[in-house]
Amino acid sequence: MTRPGNDLTAGGIDRLTERMVGGEDEAQAVTRARGGDTEAFRFLVERHSRGVFRLAFRMTGNEHDAEDVVQETFLKAYRKLSAFEERAQFGSWVHRIAANCAYDLLRARVRHDDRLDRTEGPDGDRTMTVPADDPSPERLVAGGEVRRRLRATLARMSALERSAFTLRHVEGMSIAEISRALDLDASAAKQSVFRAVRKLRQALGEQARWGITT
Amino acid sequence: MSHLTDEELVLHHFGEAEDPAAVAHLSECAACRAALEALRRDLEAVPVPEPPERGADYGAQVWARLRPLLEAAPVVSFEPARPRAGRREMRRVWAPIGLAASLVLAFLLGRHWPHEAAAPVSAAARERILLVAVGDHLERSEMLLVELVNAGADGKPVDISTQQQYAEELVGANRLYRQTVVRAGEPGMASLLDELERLLVEVAHRPSSLSPSDLADIRSRIESRGLLFRVRVIETQVREKEKATTKTAAGTHVVS
Repeated sequence: MTRPGNDLTAGGIDRLTERMVGGEDEAQAVTRARGGDTEAFRFLVERHSRGVFRLAFRMTGNEHDAEDVVQETFLKAYRKLSAFEERAQFGSWVHRIAANCAYDLLRARVRHDDRLDRTEGPDGDRTMTVPADDPSPERLVAGGEVRRRLRATLARMSALERSAFTLRHVEGMSIAEISRALDLDASAAKQSVFRAVRKLRQALGEQARWGITT
Repeated sequence: MSHLTDEELVLHHFGEAEDPAAVAHLSECAACRAALEALRRDLEAVPVPEPPERGADYGAQVWARLRPLLEAAPVVSFEPARPRAGRREMRRVWAPIGLAASLVLAFLLGRHWPHEAAAPVSAAARERILLVAVGDHLERSEMLLVELVNAGADGKPVDISTQQQYAEELVGANRLYRQTVVRAGEPGMASLLDELERLLVEVAHRPSSLSPSDLADIRSRIESRGLLFRVRVIETQVREKEKATTKTAAGTHVVS
């Protein structure tokens, strides 16, 4: 007896791909994958691999780590398919898993990386030390230094700050989505974005312009 | 109203302003608008890492790497549970552990052998021994973690006595490897093994029949700390280093 959802396996991935071009078809693939159809899961993996890789690379900044995150993401997605709400978008769901995997990896990497020059902030989060006598932004830009400085600042941020900032600034996730992806409360996600922005602006030597709070 | 705070400016920039008064203030206050514009300019300068190109067949490559892992651990709850590894299978898995422990002992002996005496193995060989042993240990630990994460998908109590026996034996080997990697100056790996050891001890000392909530607790411990993922990552790194040292050794051998 043919299992429900398995009717496409004999035809292989090509026919499946031909038939599934829109969101509705993706929903069908999810339903089939939940029913045990590995070809349908393959369709989902092939469709979302590039997006997941891009997200993972932007979060980890490292090709090898990004590949690890891609693999772990789809393994986790496969394990958790039964918990996936079919009304949701599979792409958003799998991207949240990827963000969480990348965050885990960054945390593991930061914990073990003693090479970076860091100091412990008052909240126990790791922060970088910014020299007080930074050159002006104009000079930095003129010297082509600004991007290098910002990159270095991002690299030295805590895993949480870097993840939250990248997801907000680059990936355009809302604070609520970030908190879900990183398994945090919204306030922690928000504060991490604030700290990341503050550090980046400090690195730019913009502290004087940073706030006009009363 | 006073000027917007740093945080309010950031929220406004990202389109997440919550306070209507703050939004209204911005439309009236030139200084705050200028501060917001300065913030926008600064954030625009932040470089966005450009991911390296992936070929058209990238998805297929990912699938090719993923497929064997799915087959090894079919974990989706709608699939029938995989028959648990029998004791004979476990014994087969076990056989290399004693050997690996012996290899680590060889590493330790080599490292602490008196310099004036002839060392039993070279430093490079000792490093390879350690890498092979730790790589194998991590692989076995990963198998156990995967089994634990996947156990009890049907919501019924699960007998984990086989896994406990496995965990108990892994604890002994793990302790040996942890001490060895500390001596070898690998704090990252030592920290992972330390965390792994605590989990293995806990699994070994739980009752052999676990309720779904006990299993959920173990799963949560594994997942919240990203333990399985970190074991896989370090295992991959160890295997790569092992390959590199083997290649170097082969090159050295040819030259000499």
